[in-house]
Amino acid sequence: MTAALRIDGLFKRFGEQQVLNGFSLQIAPGQVVGLLGPNGCGKSTVLNIICQLLQADAGQVHLMGQPMTEQSAHARARIGYCAQESALYPDLYPQENIQFFARLYGVPAAQRSARVADLMERFSLAPYAATRAGLLSGGWQQRLSLAVALVHRPELLVLDEPTVALDVEARMDLWRLIEGLRDSGTTILLTSHHLAEAQRLCNRVALMRNGKVLAEGSVPALISRVPGQAVAKVQSEDKQAVIQRALEMGWPVRQHAGKMSLLLPRHMSLREIVNALDGSKVSAVSIDPVTLEDAYLELVGDS
Amino acid sequence: MSPYGLLFDQTLAVSQRLLLEQWRQRRGLIFWAVFPAAMMLLFGLVYAHNANMRAGLDAAAAGILMGAALFFSCLGGTVSIIAAERERRTLRRLLASPLHPAAFFLGVLLAQLVLAAVQVVMLYSIAWFIGARYHGSLLLGALILLLSVFSYVGMGFFLGARFARRSEEVVVALSAIGVPLLVLGGTFFPLEIMPSAMQTVAQLNPMLHMNQAFKGVAAYDFGWIELRFELAFLFVFCAISLALGLKSYRYLRVADQKI
Repeated sequence: MTAALRIDGLFKRFGEQQVLNGFSLQIAPGQVVGLLGPNGCGKSTVLNIICQLLQADAGQVHLMGQPMTEQSAHARARIGYCAQESALYPDLYPQENIQFFARLYGVPAAQRSARVADLMERFSLAPYAATRAGLLSGGWQQRLSLAVALVHRPELLVLDEPTVALDVEARMDLWRLIEGLRDSGTTILLTSHHLAEAQRLCNRVALMRNGKVLAEGSVPALISRVPGQAVAKVQSEDKQAVIQRALEMGWPVRQHAGKMSLLLPRHMSLREIVNALDGSKVSAVSIDPVTLEDAYLELVGDS
Repeated sequence: MSPYGLLFDQTLAVSQRLLLEQWRQRRGLIFWAVFPAAMMLLFGLVYAHNANMRAGLDAAAAGILMGAALFFSCLGGTVSIIAAERERRTLRRLLASPLHPAAFFLGVLLAQLVLAAVQVVMLYSIAWFIGARYHGSLLLGALILLLSVFSYVGMGFFLGARFARRSEEVVVALSAIGVPLLVLGGTFFPLEIMPSAMQTVAQLNPMLHMNQAFKGVAAYDFGWIELRFELAFLFVFCAISLALGLKSYRYLRVADQKI
């Protein structure tokens, strides 16, 4: 099957800084792929190159098997782009913002009104039809930005940290919308700092560092690369004692940002762990299943 | 949709959006109209008070339209449009869309032409009310105005793409650069009363030739022959400005990456 998006060996340098260092990725049609990585690892640069906002120094991007030639309006018309900050015209009403971009993307005049009405309905924007975009809350603006990005029915939807500035409620709302798009078969590439977001929304995740992909796969596949079935987060006055006891039992120990985690070989009870760590001045223990966050820390490391 | 059909529709979309935004920012619209209207009224009062200077009123109306009105709205307005697109981050959104560079430029130009037409009607209504008259060929006057608006928008696009980062900077830059250009362009005083050194420098100012051309046709009924030098200058300057403006879209893409 032809990949919806195939990126081969992208390189990009800004002055002395090599931002992309042979970045490659493939996305199958209908997949939602998340790009995760620390700040400055090159996530947004990849998206900017795909959307032709930046030019790569080397490498190629293919959309549905066709090379994306430099500065091609035709190529840009096949992509929907939603940036971190909602790029809307504040004095226009939501339907006017959608309509404006529909015209830029060449949506036929006969279909425009129906498309706009459909998006207003699907994104629950109809009650805000009489509110100028600049007066909408951040969450509703981002919702509108997503609607704008979909008006021309793109082959690929690119979302650059779509929930970065949203409160919890607005973020959950937007997640539900993106889940709806995923379930309807839209191919999406998104970047995020929220690992829970990627875990919830993405079929596959690519973990980046220093301008290239260090690991990629489905969320369960990445989690399976963590050498443990569960994670015990331990607080103790005597960390050395905890580490020694854990290593004696063959439990890998991880320390990130001053917090200590023990990777357990199987799901264990709290009592079993406390007994195993007896004598190491443990003050608190919690047990969690292995998450994408653990996989991220294991495979990418602590930025 | 054919490529030309798309270009046409994109152009209309951009200009309609700009005019709609302008209409909804009523306060801006009022301030934008007050400056040339106030200038016209003040000059009118001065000329009306001095009976021997009344002949200058017709020329003053032409100068105020060309300098105080069209300069600020067409050149300043274009720079402001680009600064606003940058500030709102909509410029990136436009650059990521299939919007044709020429459609963006022509859309801005079309919107500015509509605003310029409104200004012409508004300013000449006030001017007529206080006694100023238009004497020359309407066709030649319209051509000079058209070339001037094209030049202002082209220059505004060029300057905006390279220098306009924030709206506040636009206001300061327009005051710092625009007002001296207006004075040297003969908007407020005739060239003849300036010192000879200033007159020489003023010859390099495109606004002087726009002013001379429009004052010539509006106040003194000059024709193509009398205005041939100004018209030739305007045609060349207009062509250069349009070329610079059109090429600036590519620069917008480059400049946007540096912000």
